[in-house]
Amino acid sequence: MNKITLTIDGKQCTGTAGQTILEIAHANGIAIPTLCYMKNLSPWGGCRMCIVEIGGSPKAVPSCATPATDGSTVVTQNDRLTHLRKLTLELLFSERNHICPICPMNKGDCDLQQNGYKFGIDAIRYPYLYPTLPVDLTGKFLGLDHNRCILCTRCVRTCDEVEGVHTLDIGNRGVKNQIVVDLNTTFGTSTTCTNCGACVSACPTGALFDKNAAFHGPLTKCRQVRTTCTECAVGCGLVVYTKENRIVDVFGDNDSPVNHGHLCSRGRYETWAVKRNRITTPLVRKNGQLVPVSWDEALQTIRKETGKMLTQNKGLLVSGKLTNEVAGTLAHLQSQVGHIGMYVAEHEAALCSEPVFTGDAFQRITDADAIIVLGAEPSRLQGVVAARIRTAVRKRGAKLVILNARTSDLDSYADIVAHVVSVERAFWKRVGETLQGAQRPVLLYGPNAMTPLGITAMEKLIKLFENGNGPAVVGIPTTTNALALAGAGIAAVDNVAQWLTSGPLRAVHIVAADETDGGAKILRDREVVGLLKGFNYVVVQAAYESRLTELAQVVLPSLVWSEKSGTVTNFEGRELLLRPVMPPRGQARDDKMILESVFA
Amino acid sequence: MSDKPKVKVATVWLGGCSGCHMSFLDLDERLIDLFKLIELTASPISDLKEIPAVDVGIVEGAVCNDENEHVLRTLRKQCQVLIALGDCAITGNVPALRNQKVLTEVLDRGYVETESTHAGEVPNEVVPTLCQKVRPIQEFVKVDAHIPGCPPDADAIWYALTELLAGRQPKWDATNVRYD
Repeated sequence: MNKITLTIDGKQCTGTAGQTILEIAHANGIAIPTLCYMKNLSPWGGCRMCIVEIGGSPKAVPSCATPATDGSTVVTQNDRLTHLRKLTLELLFSERNHICPICPMNKGDCDLQQNGYKFGIDAIRYPYLYPTLPVDLTGKFLGLDHNRCILCTRCVRTCDEVEGVHTLDIGNRGVKNQIVVDLNTTFGTSTTCTNCGACVSACPTGALFDKNAAFHGPLTKCRQVRTTCTECAVGCGLVVYTKENRIVDVFGDNDSPVNHGHLCSRGRYETWAVKRNRITTPLVRKNGQLVPVSWDEALQTIRKETGKMLTQNKGLLVSGKLTNEVAGTLAHLQSQVGHIGMYVAEHEAALCSEPVFTGDAFQRITDADAIIVLGAEPSRLQGVVAARIRTAVRKRGAKLVILNARTSDLDSYADIVAHVVSVERAFWKRVGETLQGAQRPVLLYGPNAMTPLGITAMEKLIKLFENGNGPAVVGIPTTTNALALAGAGIAAVDNVAQWLTSGPLRAVHIVAADETDGGAKILRDREVVGLLKGFNYVVVQAAYESRLTELAQVVLPSLVWSEKSGTVTNFEGRELLLRPVMPPRGQARDDKMILESVFA
Repeated sequence: MSDKPKVKVATVWLGGCSGCHMSFLDLDERLIDLFKLIELTASPISDLKEIPAVDVGIVEGAVCNDENEHVLRTLRKQCQVLIALGDCAITGNVPALRNQKVLTEVLDRGYVETESTHAGEVPNEVVPTLCQKVRPIQEFVKVDAHIPGCPPDADAIWYALTELLAGRQPKWDATNVRYD
């Protein structure tokens, strides 16, 4: 890397050749105002806020898109540049309908407004255009108000370069330029939008906004807490904004070593922007109805019914979303409960005993020139991983081979897709040709790779790389903390019906914790419903009402992700911290505490 | 008491919500100090409605109808220094939201389609005629100073007025300018 030195505002600054003037200035503590610039996106140079003068040239150039040259002299602040920046802002303000008092980003969240303040703009010298522009509120979570758009394309570039779906783009020409969704449709009817919300995080104004966060007050005035998403095994870093113990919005944590600020719709919205019925008090069934009772009464009821049962008649079935701290408690309960199991996805029990990939899986995917997805479905289950795969394929030309029974949104990016893994020679020859010469391959596998056919396919794939660089083999479970819980000695159960009938069980305590479906996924096997009805006693410990809680004699309220503390271990073996964002709702208690009081 | 003659001020309320005048009254006890220096003539908050010749004219609101335009032009003729008070006068702001619609749609919505209206019709006499588009005042007359905000804080009004009375142009920056 060639070192270069240049003078910016009289200060000697060093950088490397290829860096832009803006990057070097920022790295050296020199602030240059920006609007369309965003770190980690390709430069656009469209807004002209970051213009600078380079010695010897009469032209003002955008510093975000101009490579620095060795020995040059750059001026970032003078009267002429301030004058030009003010004109730029006035043109932006006059072009569309920027009515601050009725904007959700008012009072601190809008870069355009902040720049207006910074430059002391008290009136616009251009006539206002007052164009008639639509507002798209059809999206599940996203709103798009063209009145507030400044066409900086930060959303377009984020959608293309970070999420990799390129749903957003610019349509029309000249003054009619407008952000378009797909081929000028709406968020509600878009076939490519993944609802990841990255465009909203990128938008400097109120043009793209979170419908659920709009008009709940400025984020700059909210309390911010960094925690970890527990919706899947990726463990993305979150920044949660709260006001008066209510979640206002959730963004990705830019400092997270896992997701680097990006999220999928599950972590960004599904956990808080979807209405669910929360269980806030212990419930005991009386005359067929679940009735709210005190904790003491609920615990006494359980003890009365199950206290005299033999150890082998009692079972404890837990969610794989529980924290590592609860795993410790479960290990101590082995002497009091005959059967302890953790319910996981189909075929996932075998995956839990496979070696865990340790290292930066995201970096490996980013750098990969060939990616094989075997028995996994990242676009549905681990959106942030899918985004990395898409960008690796689209931006860096990585080969993609998908072998999975179900179709997924990723299929259209793949070189080879096979829903039924064929054993015939011609197929494997084609796979071999596609992956030939790969220097940095990654093999990402999920629970469905643990079927006999999947294992055969895995062996064949590994064999393909025998004479070259072997792939980074990354197992990615569907269940959040399955790997760590299994590692702590909790048996993974992917056939709940079989587990329920394997011993002389008479009472079962199910910990669904804060599963968003309330643990109802175990009832997908209809046999389980019948079996649970046949038990003497069923206790369900959950945060949300579901078909499962309806089957219980006693329901105990768990905490949800935003109230929990503890740690979880992600698919790369990283231990990640959960921090409580708000106090527990109602009488909900920590899962560890509940288990200790039930089995004390 | 100073011997200096008081600065004569007139204020008008065009297309706006009167919030800027309310914010002016929020000067509270500072009003006493202010009225040692100024004399308020015509204003929505005084009884005098005909605008006399004054030193300073203060305008709240955007130009929405022909009467607004007439009042604005009269004030401009009668005053030496014209101040735009608040976002409606400066940008059009909330009244300008109707600019996205054709005027006949706006009138129908207000006079005919309103949920509480039975057999309503658009009035064509007594009331002023609406302009096709709501526009900020600087598109009609020369404006000498702006006090942005919706409404501007009493502090911003106090700052701008005291600066102007001291013969200085107010300087806005991140510490004192607001659009909300």
